[in-house]
Amino acid sequence: MTNMDLFQTPRGQAIVLMAPALAVYSLFAIWPMIDVVILSFQDWNGIRENRDWVGLQNYHHILYNDPVFWVAFRNTVIWTILSVVFPPLLGLLLALGLNQRLIGRAPLRAIYYLPVIIAPIAVATMWRWMYDPFFGLFTQMLTDMGLSRWIVDWLGDKEVALYSIFVAYVWQSVGFSMVLFLAGLQSVDKSLIDAAHIDGANRREIFKHVTLPALRPTITIVLVLSTISSLKAFDIVYGMTGGGPAQSTQMLALWAFTQSMQIFDYGRGSAVSVVLLAITLVIVVPYMRWSQRREEEAR
Amino acid sequence: MMDGMSSSVIPRKRRDPVLIGLWISLVLVALIWLAPVVFILFTSLKSESEIFSSAAFALPSDFQWSNFSVAWAKGNFNQTFVNSSVITVIKVPLGLLISAMAAYALAQIPTGWNKLLLVFVLFGAMIPFQVMLAPLFTLVNSMGLIDTYPGIILPYLAFGVPYQVFILHGFFRAVPKELTEAALIDGASHFTIFRRIFLPVSLPVLSALLILDFVATWNEFAMALVLLQDKNMWNLPLGLMSYQGQFSNNYGQLNAAIVMTVLPATIVYLIFQRYFVSGLTSGAVKG
Repeated sequence: MTNMDLFQTPRGQAIVLMAPALAVYSLFAIWPMIDVVILSFQDWNGIRENRDWVGLQNYHHILYNDPVFWVAFRNTVIWTILSVVFPPLLGLLLALGLNQRLIGRAPLRAIYYLPVIIAPIAVATMWRWMYDPFFGLFTQMLTDMGLSRWIVDWLGDKEVALYSIFVAYVWQSVGFSMVLFLAGLQSVDKSLIDAAHIDGANRREIFKHVTLPALRPTITIVLVLSTISSLKAFDIVYGMTGGGPAQSTQMLALWAFTQSMQIFDYGRGSAVSVVLLAITLVIVVPYMRWSQRREEEAR
Repeated sequence: MMDGMSSSVIPRKRRDPVLIGLWISLVLVALIWLAPVVFILFTSLKSESEIFSSAAFALPSDFQWSNFSVAWAKGNFNQTFVNSSVITVIKVPLGLLISAMAAYALAQIPTGWNKLLLVFVLFGAMIPFQVMLAPLFTLVNSMGLIDTYPGIILPYLAFGVPYQVFILHGFFRAVPKELTEAALIDGASHFTIFRRIFLPVSLPVLSALLILDFVATWNEFAMALVLLQDKNMWNLPLGLMSYQGQFSNNYGQLNAAIVMTVLPATIVYLIFQRYFVSGLTSGAVKG
């Protein structure tokens, strides 16, 4: 087939149009994902010529001999549960409120969404300074209110640090859920609500029997997206504590990075990555199936 | 429009106490949400002594604009700002173009493989790239592209493709096939149809994606951390992170550095606000 032929058949034109995106995506997104699985069965320091096959040794190490892995695992689970509950719930409440016809609705929405567009690393820097145990915002405010006994070392206390980071994360991510819920609320049938009004239903009944069922697909989407983005928690933790104090805020994504890029044990780092990847797939694959079914039904 | 109809059906109560309570609580929470931003902004304009003596939300008595110029120089902002701009200006339009091309082909040219290819591409939208930082470094390093613009732009392009193809495919699929078929009969190639018909009609979606991607690229940290090791190649988030590590003893200047890093994305957001919502939701919710 000559070049001219390739450009003239629809199939050839399709190949030309798809090639750049598929090539760059396969090489820089799919290949590293395959390579991380390969690396997890190898021993490599990132510099040596040869990568040696070691079977399941890396997995054995992280599961049985690496206490930090289990801390990171536990934190990732706690973090994920918290992120699936609080930001979506707050986002839903805000969306329900801001869906009413209120004065200043547009600026209010803009304020709630603003943190979403701030770089996570800048959010980390902002909140680190707000959490400063001596001059930070929280310490100052508690002192002014005469509650100085409540002051703790927000990011330096092993028991508190993870939750301090999570508060910053809530601040940043609520706007995202809110916007998705606001869009979902547009699909609620207004005439149904009016009909319910006329039949004498109160607000709670309308919410329970009209709004909530109509929001069900949106709720699923928000929950799945919140789960996925919480598993990715990296920037904000890296920027606020770097996993400390004493690894108490370590997470799987960050621990994988630390093992590979700072301790130069690519094998163990990749094994941690594969665990995280597996958790993600368990959530993502059923979701993709579900959304595809839904799409086919909609046609 | 719908609201107009409904109000004619139901007599509206003059002042609904529930709505007033709701409004007050929404405004109060909004003030809390805004507080960190105000705090950072005020601190960035205060002198060091004023930060320690004045209340957190007191207006700066004397605007210390010098915080900004000093932080700019200390933080090597000249360089990081140029790097972020170059990376963003090349990556965002190029990424949208290749995604749009692929989305068009997947939606409008039947090849028998489209469904499979689409699933293959969408899969990437769900996978956290944070798990692949090490192999990504290895790959880019083996090509000799660490600390180069292509070395960061190519992975950015790759991880931008899935979401953009997802949104654009949904949009292109909704365009009736007859339109494409008629143009084909008239002798137009798919390249022409894509350029002359599909690109123009999808301008609103493209602008929404452009703005979302601008912010995402401008803010990206994790991949840059791995792929840009040389100080002179750092983007703004890396610069800010290092600034915090080195100069956190001067709070006014540190906050000025935060403001300068965040400002471009914030301005873009405030100008193009409505596109954010449409860009985010056109794919995710309306499906």
